Amino acid sequence: MGEPYPKLRAHALTRAFGRAPRRVDALGPLDLTVTTGEFVCLVGPSGCGKSTLLRIAAGLLRPSGGRLEIRTDSARPAAMIFQDYGIYDWKTVLANVRFGLDVQRVPRRAGNARAMDWLTRLGLSDFADAYPGALSGGMRQRVAIARALAVEPELLLMDEPFAALDAQLRVILQDELLDLTQALRTTTLFITHSLEEALVLGDRVLVMSARPGRIIAEHRPPFPRPRTGEVRDAPEFTALKSELWELLRKEAVPA
Amino acid sequence: MTTLTPEREPAVLVRAPGPAELRPARTHRRRRALELTLAAAVPLLLVLLWQLAATRAWIDDRVYPAPSTILSDGWDRATTGDLWPDVRATCRRVLAGYAVGTAAGYALGLLMGSLPLVRAALEPLLDALYVVPKLALLPVFLNMFGLGEGPQVALVAVTVFFFVWISTMSAVIAVPSGHRDAGRVFGASPWQMFRHVLLPASLPAVLVGARIAAGVAVLVIVASEQIAATDGLGHLIFDSRALFENDVMFVGIVCVAVLGVVFSELIRFVGRLLTPWAPRDRGRGQS
Repeated sequence: MGEPYPKLRAHALTRAFGRAPRRVDALGPLDLTVTTGEFVCLVGPSGCGKSTLLRIAAGLLRPSGGRLEIRTDSARPAAMIFQDYGIYDWKTVLANVRFGLDVQRVPRRAGNARAMDWLTRLGLSDFADAYPGALSGGMRQRVAIARALAVEPELLLMDEPFAALDAQLRVILQDELLDLTQALRTTTLFITHSLEEALVLGDRVLVMSARPGRIIAEHRPPFPRPRTGEVRDAPEFTALKSELWELLRKEAVPA
Repeated sequence: MTTLTPEREPAVLVRAPGPAELRPARTHRRRRALELTLAAAVPLLLVLLWQLAATRAWIDDRVYPAPSTILSDGWDRATTGDLWPDVRATCRRVLAGYAVGTAAGYALGLLMGSLPLVRAALEPLLDALYVVPKLALLPVFLNMFGLGEGPQVALVAVTVFFFVWISTMSAVIAVPSGHRDAGRVFGASPWQMFRHVLLPASLPAVLVGARIAAGVAVLVIVASEQIAATDGLGHLIFDSRALFENDVMFVGIVCVAVLGVVFSELIRFVGRLLTPWAPRDRGRGQS
């Protein structure tokens, strides 16, 4: 906070769906400031407009009111990682990771080198020529992460990226993502419904209300960077988790 | 939408509401009006062009009569009553054949979709028959039923049968196994399974097949009436061509087009009533 130029700033952001009689207010009004290099986790009950916020930031959707500013010189500063269906079954793993670079017309040789580099960092270099259909869920999500990071985005948007994975794999991928993002310091908006995930990964955890989603609480996990997955065992972690859960439970269960 | 604020730091990319978000009702109304206008204007423009070409004698109006001639001729024939016997004859054949073909195709599709042994027994045979041009069966039906309504109705029925059979069978096969399992665990009898699971689950896809079949039924009847009938729109079209009455021929063609559209829209409408949960089927002939 207090930085002069936040990377991302949303002011009175709202979004509604449908027309007048059956109009549904999905989001906001919501105010949000994210500084450069910050990893912000958004936690909220399902249907609270978390994904809507992310889609607005990505430029896939326009807000109904208010505005969201991203401080950048690029026209497409963001890369997005989806829960599933983000990677293409008809492209090999290498071609998937290279996709963003192909779109940006990076020469094939350079693109291959960068894609291969990211595959190596994510431990996938042996599967470069495989098709995603032959991979496990965890590997597929690693491919999606590699594809997003390969374009070196200024803003990384992650929409419940680990929600479809089993519990053990989630922990492993959380730790991998922690390593990666602490090295890269990419500004990240990370959506999840897992408090644990948010506390492990985030510089800041924002709790959102039920629909229409607003921010009802803000926490900074008191774990210094660089941190590892071991913070899960700290007593403060459990305390903070139950504190946030108390907040979230009221929203998740409509009275 | 993108405003660049003159500041000392990097530019700002703004995500702000666009016209569609600021005035959703107006944008929707305008969009709808534009779509309707386009839908009406494009055919109208082509008809006007045709009219112009005919009156300016760019085309021979004995071969391609002007739309105005076709319209006034059609109006005359409709008011004097010359047109209706043919329209009625065609409608009757199409409806009878369609009813028989749909019922048979649906029943067999359902049976073959749910019972693998029936599928194994009949699929190769029906696949082979499917590729036979249905019009080639007309002589067979003529031998079977003699002259009269029989062969016409049979031809439409066979054509419709294959469309409905294929779409029903693949729809039933494609019912997710989770749906079946849930029914089976509750102990649903075959009839209950059909009534509560297979019928509703397959209906949307079946109706798409039925709607395509409606268009094809009209297409087939016109061809067969030309060959072996003494009335009907197909007979009218080819008969008037033989008599060099090209304007009457076009009246027949327009009637066939209207009949086909009305029929397939009717099926679509019925389908919407029957499957309120299904996504709207917007496509025209995907066949």
